[in-house]
Amino acid sequence: ALARPARGLAAHGETHFGFQTVSEEEKGEKVYQVFESVARKYDVMNDSMSLGIHRVWKDVLLHKMNPSPGTLLLDVAGGTGDIAFRFINYVRSVRERQLRRKLKHHQNLSWQEIADSYQEEAIKPLGDSQVVVCDINTEMLKVGRQKAEHLGYSEGLSWVVGNAEELPFGDEKFDVYTVAFGIRNVTHIDLALQEAYRVLKPGGRFLCLEFSQVTNPVLSRLYDLYSFQIIPVLGEIIAGDWKSYQYLVESIRRFPPQEEFKEMIEDAGFLKVDYQNLTSGIVAIHSGFKL
Amino acid sequence: APAPETGPGAARPPEPSVLPFLVCPLSKRPLRYEAATQELVNEELGIAYPVVDGIPTMLPEAARKVPARPAEQH
Repeated sequence: ALARPARGLAAHGETHFGFQTVSEEEKGEKVYQVFESVARKYDVMNDSMSLGIHRVWKDVLLHKMNPSPGTLLLDVAGGTGDIAFRFINYVRSVRERQLRRKLKHHQNLSWQEIADSYQEEAIKPLGDSQVVVCDINTEMLKVGRQKAEHLGYSEGLSWVVGNAEELPFGDEKFDVYTVAFGIRNVTHIDLALQEAYRVLKPGGRFLCLEFSQVTNPVLSRLYDLYSFQIIPVLGEIIAGDWKSYQYLVESIRRFPPQEEFKEMIEDAGFLKVDYQNLTSGIVAIHSGFKL
Repeated sequence: APAPETGPGAARPPEPSVLPFLVCPLSKRPLRYEAATQELVNEELGIAYPVVDGIPTMLPEAARKVPARPAEQH
């Protein structure tokens, strides 16, 4: 099949960059600059802004995914590696449990068989599971890779600079596609969803963790106050960058609410699409399957 | 032997496990990894994507044009 025409030939519309109106071309550049600027302080800022709760959200995402050893994961806009590291930890512990259970059920093993089992675990601690972290921003990936090195992650992990709207991966390669707090920064969300569909194997799962609409009106007011009064100030104090965090807060307000995003996912061809609100809808996990 | 310093960072080979997944983002066709220049080459379109500090940089904006070559005869 012919490739889609290069983006440069497509019609240039206007879009939003937070609350500003910008051309589509500009949006990509401005988003790139935001993340280039915040890359090194990204994790610290996440902890400060969300009071550490973002870690729980990401843990919930992994539990929902419930990957088994051998799973191939593509984590898009995965920059600093939070989802990738959790995935590795998860499949590693599942695999350890599997091997222990296998040993328990075979009481009459010879020493050689027991030693072989331990060696199996040592050689393939992840059981062929793999995660590819794809991000459009080199700085974010470099931070992620450095973190991986410090934390001792090496097996089954790779880093690729790529555009969510134009992924450099073949069709039907991955079991799971995740995008955590990334898709709202993409200029053409529908293209990112189509690409997600393309690279997933039949039976594969799409999972998106993203800021969404708060359901409770009282909490909504408090959340707005916190977002617009506290977060950019934190951004200035911690990262020396008010504007980037102003953008981040605005981009959250611009992102479609739960039901609308669900429909966009369905438009890309996914089935059994649903979502789960976390923290009263401050974030939501959307899930869909390629069936 | 240490790789020659050609760019701002030391040359670092890409993670081999990722290469089988990669295709050209434009044509979605396979690529050839050229170790000498640290590039992933789409011979049909005549473009090469750089591997920067071990990270394949699969953006058309980052690619450079190379002479297009017909597929080798076996």
